[in-house]
Order: sequence, then structure tokens, then C-alpha cells
Amino acid sequence: MLFFSYFKELVGKEVTVELKNDLAIRGTLHSVDQYLNIKLENTRVVDQDKYPHMLSVRNCFIRGSVVRYVQLPPDGVDIDILHDATRREARGA
Amino acid sequence: MVMGLQVFSERAEDGTGQPRLDADAGEELMHVQPGVSIALGSHPPESPGNLYITSRRVVWLSDAEKDKGYAVDFLSVSLHAVSTDPEAYPLPCIYAQIETGCDEDEESGGSDSEQQEDFNLSKITEMRLVPSDPSQLDALFEIFCRCAELNPDIHEDGEEETEWFYGDEDIADDGAEEDPEWHFSENLANPIGFANGDHDLAHSVLQLQINDQRFDDAEEMEQAPRHEHQ
Repeated sequence: MLFFSYFKELVGKEVTVELKNDLAIRGTLHSVDQYLNIKLENTRVVDQDKYPHMLSVRNCFIRGSVVRYVQLPPDGVDIDILHDATRREARGA
Repeated sequence: MVMGLQVFSERAEDGTGQPRLDADAGEELMHVQPGVSIALGSHPPESPGNLYITSRRVVWLSDAEKDKGYAVDFLSVSLHAVSTDPEAYPLPCIYAQIETGCDEDEESGGSDSEQQEDFNLSKITEMRLVPSDPSQLDALFEIFCRCAELNPDIHEDGEEETEWFYGDEDIADDGAEEDPEWHFSENLANPIGFANGDHDLAHSVLQLQINDQRFDDAEEMEQAPRHEHQ
């Protein structure tokens, strides 16, 4: 649940979602659910030369199970809070 | 679960022409959208039909050909999006990526034309649904989202995720039972791995044997190298 809570904090920010099939999509995080399904708005494909047909889709729903990485905006990472949260999670709280 | 696109032509026998749903599994019809063309992979759109969105899958049935249709489980739809940019696709549509369970390398291009003659559904990784009324796109997108959320992944053992093996876990399960396949003879004339000239593999197999002997007195540890080896 840690990631769910954390990603919820990032709603409205720009993120890049990299899929397990190597496609990377950048957009504004619209919402995320408990399965880490991700909805992006104003999306664009990062590697446009490789995926010309996906040049621009307005909004996009990405299944949580196909996500490899989510690249975060540097100002969206509060390291202290994350440290705390991960420690709590590790303790099984 | 079945991955990827499937041929689907089972209609209910009530005269409505609707797809026959798996009511036993709790499948419900959530939305019907008439006048939708479907384009699979890089193939041109087919003549219009009805789009049925159920609680489990997306079904498209042709108007013209009663025995023609396709279905895909939401579990196989890895991504869906509203596509309105004419440069991306000439017609406004719902764009979906489909997980096929096949080797991804075989059809990654999507817009290549060389597979034109080969209409292999199991290799189709992209689907576009083109409604005759583009103003319906946003509503369709939202229904897609809602139904996708109804279908979280079932976690199967050893599926995609790396399963970490912690030495002490499995041992309790099958402690005393000895696996006959796991006892290498002490003097293998032709150890596994040498046969095909793969010396590195052979080397590690030999190492495993050494470990095997070293742990001979600790009986329950005999299972351990097997897991490392998998």
C-alpha cells in the first residue's frame, strides 16, 4: 500500500511511466488506484521515432501490472517522508 | 486465463444479437455501442458492428457477418487511450494495447505492412475501436477504465514477478521426502552440460555436486541446490 499512498500524493504532477514492453509515456498523473493502475492526461510518447503511431493520445489508462517504472518529478520526492514510510512498511506496521 | 484477442461469435439465443456472456462467472453487460469499426494491428478497419463492454471483456460483433466477431479480456488490455490526433491515426478512436503472451519481438512494429497477409489474432498487439460518433469517445474511455478496474490481476505463483527464495522456507514443506531425480551419481562420465560444449554450465553443475556432497550430513539441505538451479 505504500506505493499507492505515495503515488496519490503525485496526482497533478508530470510523471513518465515506463511499460514492460519498453514504451514510455509522459503525462500528468490524473489518478492511481490500489492496483497501481495509472491514468495520465495530456500524454505523449517519450520515444516518438520508435512509436510514431502513438504520437499523441489525449488521455491514457495503463494497467498496473504492465508498469515497469514510474519516473518521478524531483520536487515530488520528499525523501524524509519516504524514509519514514518505508521503515514503517518494513516493520510491518 | 486466455491471453490476447480471440475469435468470438457466440450470440445469445434471444434474438437481440448480443454476445452470449458467461453468466456463471458473473459476467454482466455494462455498455453497448453501435456503429463501431474495429481495426486490428495494422489492418484497415472492418465494416461497422456493435461494441459490447462487459464486466470482464470487450466484445465486438460485426453487423454484416453474423458469425464474425472478436473478444479480448480486460486482463489482456495493458493500456487504453483516446486517440484524436490525425497524425497518430486518421480517425478518432479508442486505442488499446493487447498483451498476447507471445514473444513481443515478433510484432512490435504495428505499422509494418509485411504481416498484412498473416492475420494471426494471437499476435495482434494493437486494437483501435472507431465509433461512427466521435463525441462518444470520452464516455467510452471512462467505461473502459471502470471495467478495467473491475479486473485486477490474479496473482499466480511464479508468474511475472521474481520469486525470491529464502533458504529456510520451502524446506519445511517437503523435508523428509527425497527427490530421486536429484541424486547425481558420484562419477558421472559425461556430466550434464559437457554434452553440448557449454563448459560454464558444466562447471556450475560440477560445483553443485560438490556442494551436494558437502551437505550430505544435513539431510534437509539436499533440496536447496535444486532451487538455485531452477
